[in-house]
Amino acid sequence: MPPFKDEHVLIIAPGSQVTLAQLGLPESFTPARFRFPTRMFPAEKKGEYEPYRIRERRQEVTSSTNGPDASKPDVEMKDAEPAPPPAEPTPATDSAPEKPENTEQDAKTESAEGQEANGEAKPDTAPVTQEIFYEEDITSDEGAIHPIVNGRILDWPCFFALLTHVHNTLSPPFHTPIMLISEPVWSARDRETITQFVFEKFKTPAFCMMDSALAVCYGYGTSTATVIDVGKDKVDVTAVTDFLVNEHGRGIALDGCGGDYMTQRLSELLGPKGFTWEMCEQLKRSNITEMLPPGTPLPGTAATARQGANVNNAEGKPTGEPEDGSKGDAAARGTNGTAGENGEDEDEGVLDVAAIVSGNTSEFLANREKEKSTKKGPADQGAKPLRLPNSKKEKATFQFEEYVRLQPENDAATNGPNRFIRQTRDIEVGVERFLTATLKQKMGDRLSSGILEDIATQIHHTILAVPEAKRSELWDSLIVVGNGSKIKGFTQSLVSTITQKFVLSPSGTIFTSELPSNFSTPLPTGGTNTPAPSGQPGPMHHPGGHGVNPLLVAATHSNTPAAMPSMDPLTHSHHRSSQTPTTVKTVKPPEYFPEWKEQSSSNAPGASGANGPAGAGGPGGPGSHTGGHGMEEAVFLGAQVASKVVFVLDQGISKGFMSRVEYNENGPSAIHEYSM
Amino acid sequence: MNPSVPPSAAEYGGDEVSAIVLDPGFSTTRAGFAGEDTPKSLIPTYYGKYSHEGQEKLIFGDDIFVTPRPGLSIHNPMGRDGIVEDWDMAEKVWEYSFTSRLTGAKPGNPFQNGLNDVPEGEMPTEMEGVESDEKPLADSPLLMTECGWNPTKAREKTIEIAMEKWGTPAFYLARNGVLAAFASGKASALVIDIGASSISVTPVHDGMILKRGVQHSPLGGDYISSQIRALFKSNNPQPITITPHYLISSKTAVDAGQPPQVNYKTYPPEKAPDASYRTLLEERTLSEFKECVVQVWPGPSKLLSPGPNGVSNEEVARSSPGRPFEFPDGYNQIFGVDRYRVVESLFDVKAAIPDPDSPFPAPTPAQTVPELIKNALNGVDVDIRPHLLANVVITGASSLLHGFTDRLNQELMQTYPGPRVRISAAGNTAERRFGSWIGGSILASLGTFHQMWISKKEYEEHGPNIVEKRCK
Repeated sequence: MPPFKDEHVLIIAPGSQVTLAQLGLPESFTPARFRFPTRMFPAEKKGEYEPYRIRERRQEVTSSTNGPDASKPDVEMKDAEPAPPPAEPTPATDSAPEKPENTEQDAKTESAEGQEANGEAKPDTAPVTQEIFYEEDITSDEGAIHPIVNGRILDWPCFFALLTHVHNTLSPPFHTPIMLISEPVWSARDRETITQFVFEKFKTPAFCMMDSALAVCYGYGTSTATVIDVGKDKVDVTAVTDFLVNEHGRGIALDGCGGDYMTQRLSELLGPKGFTWEMCEQLKRSNITEMLPPGTPLPGTAATARQGANVNNAEGKPTGEPEDGSKGDAAARGTNGTAGENGEDEDEGVLDVAAIVSGNTSEFLANREKEKSTKKGPADQGAKPLRLPNSKKEKATFQFEEYVRLQPENDAATNGPNRFIRQTRDIEVGVERFLTATLKQKMGDRLSSGILEDIATQIHHTILAVPEAKRSELWDSLIVVGNGSKIKGFTQSLVSTITQKFVLSPSGTIFTSELPSNFSTPLPTGGTNTPAPSGQPGPMHHPGGHGVNPLLVAATHSNTPAAMPSMDPLTHSHHRSSQTPTTVKTVKPPEYFPEWKEQSSSNAPGASGANGPAGAGGPGGPGSHTGGHGMEEAVFLGAQVASKVVFVLDQGISKGFMSRVEYNENGPSAIHEYSM
Repeated sequence: MNPSVPPSAAEYGGDEVSAIVLDPGFSTTRAGFAGEDTPKSLIPTYYGKYSHEGQEKLIFGDDIFVTPRPGLSIHNPMGRDGIVEDWDMAEKVWEYSFTSRLTGAKPGNPFQNGLNDVPEGEMPTEMEGVESDEKPLADSPLLMTECGWNPTKAREKTIEIAMEKWGTPAFYLARNGVLAAFASGKASALVIDIGASSISVTPVHDGMILKRGVQHSPLGGDYISSQIRALFKSNNPQPITITPHYLISSKTAVDAGQPPQVNYKTYPPEKAPDASYRTLLEERTLSEFKECVVQVWPGPSKLLSPGPNGVSNEEVARSSPGRPFEFPDGYNQIFGVDRYRVVESLFDVKAAIPDPDSPFPAPTPAQTVPELIKNALNGVDVDIRPHLLANVVITGASSLLHGFTDRLNQELMQTYPGPRVRISAAGNTAERRFGSWIGGSILASLGTFHQMWISKKEYEEHGPNIVEKRCK
C-alpha cells in the first residue's frame, strides 16, 4: 500500500450538535475547516435525508406582469449558504444539494415560470394553476432529525446519511484514510456498525476510530489526564492514564449537565421577562455571561448575596437572594427590559448587518459592546460608569441576532422564495447572566446540586475508580473541553467547586502525599517512636512540616514497619499511595498551535455551533470556514495530531488503524483491536 | 494503489463473533468480549429504585453513585452467599451490564441501517420466521460464571434466562474458581477468592472443581467494612460518623482529631434518598479507607499473640507510625494499630471488634481463611494436596488489602511446614480484581472450547437440565 499523504486524511468528529470535519492535515493544525450541523431533514422519500430543510410551497400562478427578474432575489442572504435558495429535493444519501443539475433544474423552473408569466395571453379569469416549488428554508430547524442525542446514535439511517453528506461534501480521493472520533457512549456494537458502514460505503483503505477523550489528550500533548467534555446536554468524564482510556468508572453521558442546562437556567430566570429560548442561548454565548468564582458578590446586589450555587439548598427552590432581588430590580426598571428594546433599532440592525458582512466580523463584534455602552449608557441610565469589568457591572447588553423575514414589497415578492435578513438588536440583562450554573428549578427526577457539583461528583467518582497510584496525577491534570464549557469562568468555577468539596485539608494528609510515596524518610531513631529532635534534618525539612507537631510528621512520613521479605508483588512494585486529592489543577493547553488561540466573541446564530438556524458550515462554501474556535474543540486538534502519527508517520506499523485488507479478513468486530 | 481508482467491492463475508463473558458478583458485575484482557463493562450489581411522578423507575450502573434521586433506595438482586435471590432484577442488571457498553440496544432493522440498498420502489417485505423484536444477545454466545456452590435450580434458571430471554445461540456456565485458576495459567490450583460478600476456597484439579473441598464464609470485603464501622463507633476521642459527599455542601479544613466544621445539605423528607443509599455511599468512603489505610498484620504470628522478643505484636504495631485519613466532612485522624485490627479477624476470630448492631454475627473460627483452607484440603484426596499447596491462587478485589498475601503466606507456611507452599497472586490490580472474568475470556476464546458450548438446539431438545450434564 502506498503511503498516505497529509492532504488525503479525512477527519470526522461527530457530536450531538455539530459534526466537525476536515480533509487534509495543514502544515500547522487548524480548527476544523467544516462544521456541519448534526441534523438532517427527512426527504420526500421515506428513509432518505436532506441536509437542508426543504419546504414545499404551493404557489398560485395567476396572471401577472412580473417578469422573471422580479423573482430574482433582491436581497442577498447574509449567510454564507452557497446553495441556491430554491432547490429541488435531491436524493439525499448520495448527492449533495449543490449538484449542478439542481441549479439547472432550478433555472428551468424559473424560466418556465417566467415564460408562463411573460407569454401569458390569458384573461384575468384565467384558471388559477398551482405549482409546487421547493425551497430551502435556512431559518428553521423545524422537522429536523438529530441523529445523535446526548452522544447516542438514535437514528442510524439519518446518522449514516449525515456521514455520507459529510463525505460527499469533502469528496476525498479514494486513497483517503478516515479518522473518526467516537463518542464515549457508543457501545462496542455501535462501533462495529460504523466500521462496517465506513468500509463498505466509502471504500476507505484505512480507518481509525479514536475515543474523543483520548483525542483530547493528544491535542493537549499529555498522556495522563482527566478529560471533562461538556457537550450540549451531557458531560463525559474520562480518566486517561498513559494514553489508555479507563473504561471503569468512566462518566458517560451524564445527563442534563451540558450547555443546555445553562440555557435552561437562563430561560427559567429570564423567561418571565419575555426572553425566548434563542435569546437565552445567544445570551449564554455572548461575552457578558460569566461564571463568577463561588463567593463573589454579584454586582449591584447586597454584598452578602452570593452566587447561588452554595446558597441554594437542595430542594430545588432557588432561595438565593440575588434572584429575588434582580427580579424586583427588573420590575422596577421596567422600560429597560426587553419589551422596551423590542424593535427598537430595526434600521440600525440592518446597518449592522452591512457592517458585519463587509467588515471584520469579530473585530466588529468585539467593539460592539463598547460602542453600545457609550451610546446607550447616557441615554438610558444616566452616568453609568464605563469600562468596568463585566463582572462588576450590574447590567450589560448583548447583541441578539435573529433572522427576520423580509416583508414582501409587492405582490410579486410573495411568489418568490422567502427572504430573510439577519438583524441584530441589543438586549440588556441584569445579574441573571452570572447565574447560569445555579440550581435549576426543574431538575426532573434528579436531586441535583447544580451543574458544577454534579460534574465534580462525577470527576471524584471517575478518579476513585482508577488504581490509587494514578489518582493524584489525574487530579492534577484536569482538562475541560467541549463547547458547553466556553462560558467565561466555567473551568475556574468547576475547579473551585472541586476544591471546596473534595480537596483534603492540609492538616493530616499533606505530608505523605507531597512526597512520592515510595520515598520514605527514615526514622532518625531507628524505628522507635521517639520524636525527631527539631534541629535535625529529616521530617522537619519538609515544606509542609513547619509548625506542625513533629510526631505527626514522623508518623506520616514512614511506611510499613515490617522489613520482612514480602510475597505480595503489589508491595514491591509500588508503595501505597495516600488519599487524594490534595491539589486540583488544570492542564495548560499547548502553545504551539497559534490558530487555536483565537476566541470567538460572536454569538451570532450561525457563528458558533450549529444551533443557529443558518446551520453554519454549509457544504463547500468558503464561508463555512468559521474561525474562532479555541481549545474547547481540542478533540479536533488531537484528531489531527493522531492522524498524522497513525496514518502518515507510523503507516500502520503499530496497528494504529484498520486497513481494508484486515477488514476483509476479520470483519467489523476487529475494530476493537485497532480502535484507539 | 492509485488514489483515483476505486478499490474492489467488499470481500468481507464471514461473521467473526466473539463471545460475551459475564461474571456476576455480589458487588460488581463484569462483562466483556472474550479475548480481551479486561472486562469492558464494570457495573455495580446494586441498582436503585425510586418513583417519579407516580412511576417506578430503576437505575443501573455507576449513575447510582453520582446523582441521588428523590426517595432512591438501593437493592441487590444477589444474596450474600453469592446466589441470586431476585431473578427478575438479576436478569435486568446483567442485561444492563452487556447492553450498556457492548451490544447496545436492540439492533435495528437491517433495511434501515444504511448498508442494504433497497431497490427503487420496492418496500422491504416482512421476512417470515424472523423474530420481529430481536433479543439482546441474538448473535453472541454467552459464557457465564457461577460460584462453586450454586444450586441446580439456580443454574437451570440462569440458562433459561440466557436462552429464552436473551436469545443467545450458545451458552456455557463455568465455575469462577476454575476460571481464576485459568487466569493464572493453571489447570490445578487452590483458588482463594476474597470477594465483597464472601470468601471462598476452591480446589481445582485438571480444570474441574473438587466439590467436596469447596469452602466459603461471609468474611469478605463487606465484613471488613462492618469491622471498620465498629472501629469508628468506638473511636476515641469521639465516634466517627461517615457523612457521604452528597450530604455535604462545603467543608472547612480542621486539624486532626478535631470535630468537623461543615455545612450539610438537607433534603426535604419526602425527597431524601433512602438509608440504603447512604449506606452505599458510605461504602465508597470505606473502600477508600481500605485502599489508603487498612493493612494486614504481616505476621508471622497473630496480632494479639506475643511477638518473638517478648513484646506483644500489638505493642509493636502500636509503635509503628499511623496513616492519616480524611472523611468527606473534613474530619481527619491518624489510624495506628487500629488499621491492623479491622482485618485481623479474617485470620484470628479473637481479634474481631464486637459490634452488636452489625448485620454480621461474630465470626466463628471455622470461617477464617486458614481454617477454610484447612477444611478445603481435608476435603480432597490426600495425594493432590501438595500439588494444590504448590499452586495457591489468590484473587478477588479484597485480596488487594495491603499485606494480605504476605500474611496468608506466613499462615500457610506455619500450618503446612512440610510441603512446598507457593502463592501466586497477580501483581496487576485489574488482573486480581477480574481473575475469574479473565479466565472466562481465555476459555471462551480457545478454539478447543467450541465443542463445549451448549447450543440453542441442544437446549431446546433437553431443556434447562442440560446445564447439569454439560457444565460440570
